[in-house]
Amino acid sequence: MTVFWFLIREGFKGLIRSKYAGAFSVIIISISLILVGFGYVGSRDTLFLVENIRAQFDVDIFLHKTASSEEIDNFAALLDSMTEVRNVHYISPEKAAVKFKKEFGEDIFDILDYNPLPSSFTINLKPIYRNLVSVEGIASILSNKPVVDEVKYRKQFLILLEKYQRIVLITVVSVFAFLALLSIILTSNSIKMTIFARREVISTMKLVGATNSFIRWPFIIEGTLQGFIGSCLASLFIYGIFYFLNNYLQTVIEYKAIVSYRYYIGIVISGSLLGLIGSRRAIRKFLK
Amino acid sequence: MISFINVNCTFGKKAGVKNVNFSVNSGEFIFLTGPSGAGKSTILRLIYMDLFPEKGKVIIRNYNSNNIHDREIPYLRRKVGMVFQDFRLLPDRNVYQNVALSLYVSHYKTSEIKKRVYRVLNQVGLGHRVHYRPSELSGGEQQRVAIARALVKEPVVILADEPTGNLDPRVSIDLMSLLNKINKKGTAIIVATHNYSLIQRIPGARLIQIDEGEIVNIT
Repeated sequence: MTVFWFLIREGFKGLIRSKYAGAFSVIIISISLILVGFGYVGSRDTLFLVENIRAQFDVDIFLHKTASSEEIDNFAALLDSMTEVRNVHYISPEKAAVKFKKEFGEDIFDILDYNPLPSSFTINLKPIYRNLVSVEGIASILSNKPVVDEVKYRKQFLILLEKYQRIVLITVVSVFAFLALLSIILTSNSIKMTIFARREVISTMKLVGATNSFIRWPFIIEGTLQGFIGSCLASLFIYGIFYFLNNYLQTVIEYKAIVSYRYYIGIVISGSLLGLIGSRRAIRKFLK
Repeated sequence: MISFINVNCTFGKKAGVKNVNFSVNSGEFIFLTGPSGAGKSTILRLIYMDLFPEKGKVIIRNYNSNNIHDREIPYLRRKVGMVFQDFRLLPDRNVYQNVALSLYVSHYKTSEIKKRVYRVLNQVGLGHRVHYRPSELSGGEQQRVAIARALVKEPVVILADEPTGNLDPRVSIDLMSLLNKINKKGTAIIVATHNYSLIQRIPGARLIQIDEGEIVNIT
């Protein structure tokens, strides 16, 4: 037990003994995690935005004017049974007339003395089927139904969305990976500097007969503490920025950064792990 | 207790040592002498296995340089005390902590550590300087702390590499008397020095003279 508490105590004291090098390391870890923290929220919200745009994609199916109510009911049942379909919305000729008036500002009965608008369905597809190949397949199946007059969807919108989503995804993942890698390198190097500054402690410990694990533990505890403190500072900073953004900048930008407490716990765990792994890697070099 | 058998060890551009043969018995006092660069420090480093022979072998009790595992070296060093010209004390720890470190690494209990550290600090005449930092001590006092650190683990041998190199003559004499006293209690001592006046202070000591990496005389 004496050794256990000695190593724990040495780890905590090391943080104070390392002075400027330790403080520098904490700041570097903090900056790295701030970058990664913002990078994560930015990436998440960009991908969410793209997915949201995609969710608005609908397919409109116009039926023949002559379709009987039984045929319409049967067709509605067919749409409901399709695995690709998330929800089905029926628009009767009367509802279509109301919609027409809302969209164009004129009553269809003022232009014509009858309602030429057909019954239609608007279907929204499940996320995995919101792509060009699936939509074309579904449109082709539905077009062949006798009751269907026309199937319409924004093909060009889908082509553009697919093209840009890939670019956005690659960019977002690359930026996030770069930030994560940068934070690992920065953290590892700053911890290495802290240990380098106290290499004489390591050499003296070796001379008096310390085993490698005995030398290693205080440095690992110290590195983990640096990571923990750095990540707490990063969490506080990010919380402050998000608070300011969500409460004072809503008139300037229409964006709300919403994160749960789990996000901050994630930052603290990541920071502590970065410190632990970084110090473990760094000390290995000095124990050879 | 310590045997050098046909030991050759060169490193870097320095010559190191060639064909070294000698042995040290328990409780002996030995001086390694010779000019700077003769190979005195190399012999000491071979004893605490900071260096390994290219040819021949060094045996310290049950440890053989030819088949010792990396993991065993710390255990060997717990049996060997070391004192250097530049003291090698940790500047951010006080006298007590510097000395106690030797025992913490050997997993002693706190009560035992306390007892031993105070006893050994009194033995080297530093009982009143327990809470001082090395920077607050004179050169002679710092070297006494280094000796206390070596002594506290009750080693079979203390290796002193130019221990008086940074000290004035009067302090050097005091320090040699201290080492002599420690030796009288049964600890073997090997001092590497090129200061011949110190050798005369220990009348019964054995003298190993080295030049250009070779032993030229043993008396």
